[in-house]
Amino acid sequence: MTEIALPAPSRSRSLRRAALLPFTSWSGGFAALVLLCVVLVALLAPWLSPYDPLVNNFNPAGQLRRLEPPSSAHWLGTTYYGLDVLAQLIHGTRIVLIVGFTCAVLIALIGTNVGLIAGYYGGRIETVLMRATDLAFGIPFIPFAVVLVALLGPSLWNAIIAISLLMWRSTARVIRSQVLSLRERGFVRAARIAGASDLRILYVHIFPNVLPMALLYVAFDIAWAVLAEASIAFLGFGDPHQTSWGQMLYLAYVSGSIRQAWWWTVPPGAALSLFVIAVFLVGREYERLANPRLR
Amino acid sequence: MQFWAYAARRAWHTAITLVLLLVFMYVLFRLVPGDPTTILLGTGELTLEAQARLRELWGLDRPQWQQFLTYAGNLLTGDLGMSFYFRRPVVEIVAPMLGNTLVLMIPVVVLAILLGVAAGTWLGWRRGERIEEIGAVLALIPRALPVFWIGIVLLALFAYELRWFPIGGMRQAFFYPETWYQALPFFDVARHLVLPVATGVLASMADPLMIQRTALIEVRHEDFMILARARGLTERAQRRLARRNAILPVLTYSAIMVGFAFGGQVLLEVVFTWPGMGRLMVSSVSQRDYPVAQATFFLMAAVVIGLNLLVDLAYGWLDPRIRLD
Repeated sequence: MTEIALPAPSRSRSLRRAALLPFTSWSGGFAALVLLCVVLVALLAPWLSPYDPLVNNFNPAGQLRRLEPPSSAHWLGTTYYGLDVLAQLIHGTRIVLIVGFTCAVLIALIGTNVGLIAGYYGGRIETVLMRATDLAFGIPFIPFAVVLVALLGPSLWNAIIAISLLMWRSTARVIRSQVLSLRERGFVRAARIAGASDLRILYVHIFPNVLPMALLYVAFDIAWAVLAEASIAFLGFGDPHQTSWGQMLYLAYVSGSIRQAWWWTVPPGAALSLFVIAVFLVGREYERLANPRLR
Repeated sequence: MQFWAYAARRAWHTAITLVLLLVFMYVLFRLVPGDPTTILLGTGELTLEAQARLRELWGLDRPQWQQFLTYAGNLLTGDLGMSFYFRRPVVEIVAPMLGNTLVLMIPVVVLAILLGVAAGTWLGWRRGERIEEIGAVLALIPRALPVFWIGIVLLALFAYELRWFPIGGMRQAFFYPETWYQALPFFDVARHLVLPVATGVLASMADPLMIQRTALIEVRHEDFMILARARGLTERAQRRLARRNAILPVLTYSAIMVGFAFGGQVLLEVVFTWPGMGRLMVSSVSQRDYPVAQATFFLMAAVVIGLNLLVDLAYGWLDPRIRLD
């Protein structure tokens, strides 16, 4: 642990250390493995999946395999609509990755830029941007997402837009407060005296210094974004042509199957929870690095 | 005097936020293709000339800024329009639902804070012990569970399988009490409250818990705690002292929590078919009943913004340093 305080090692070594950091504790290592599994399953979904997640299955007699409990043919049973639960679960990882990754990028883009510009320029620009941030904090999240997705039409991308349009708020506030202290530091003044433009100071000198904090916040936002997408899908505003974990729970609920079909309701909920916990735990390890007081 | 200047500045900021909210909603609800007359046109009851006259009557032909001013004025004076679906004033539909929502939300928030503080104090007091490490990881788990999934699991177990509690709703249509306690005035509602409240508390107690734990760990090394030990206070008395001094962050967080609670509330109400504002919002959006959807959205946002103002004022009252920023 004390090694971190020593003079900076070469870039490739510090990168490797950052990548291996979660594995220094049992909970972090477990969480990193879970995330790795999700990524692998998502990439290999078409090969891993035993059935097409959107094709109804029939038994030899030609009847729909409705609500069949787990068997050797269908490891996690079937849904009310005769779809294979395991196949749906496997394909759901893709939605998780798409939502997590896209939202993270969008939130980072909006939040970091709002924070950078507000903190650096100050004055009227800051007032306007920070009032907009206040507004984003004042809007209740799920109701907003429901209204927006319902108005724009239920699709995965509209859900992602709704999530990103509000979630940049906390990143923006944190980055702004960091920039406020950074802009008075010596290296920024030196750059200004050397004649660097505002844009250059902002993105070449200040931005790399707020990057670790921004990444940390965005990492936690991945978890919230995935939960938010699942919530939107559960309320019935998900994309009807795609299989997501939230959508599975929605269909289990509206078809009245939750009273008996535990094999349909438990896997997607457990998978969602496991993913979110894993993100929290990995984030916690990096948080300790960024904030030594927590150690 | 200084406090009032601070309060006025905060109130001014809140007013700006509220205006921004109105503009935002005006734009949001105009993303819908067509205008209110289009819906009537679809039913075939309206000719194009009649539509043009209706537009004029409803002021839809006036410039956008005039329309916005009328819209904002109506919303702020409580005129929320007529519901397309129920064909009654929106206020009449939303008001009882707001009451029902509070019946569910208040116990959730109060219990989550009380339990969160108790558990957070317990964990923070055992700082550094193995059990505290495990407890801190365990406390993350309910926070990671989707609210609606907790609801589904509890419903499957305690309502469908064990039949201890009703499967949803707020009251049973024809409830005949069999024993004296079942005849108590609120027994039926209370019975319907158990599962949704348990779900809400599980999902929202993690934040107060973690905040209380962190605050307690910091308080433990203050001088007055060392003094308390030196005076020979019992372990219990020491913990009580620490808890009281660590509670401020949780109190300030509680108002923010009410804001978040609205989000979880929508999901809770849908899973447990609770006749509240969140469920009304989801159904009105699905039925394209925009006046009702708009009213519920506006009310929730206004409550959150208002609570934020209250927190800021309470902060300024309690901690004079904040007034200077």
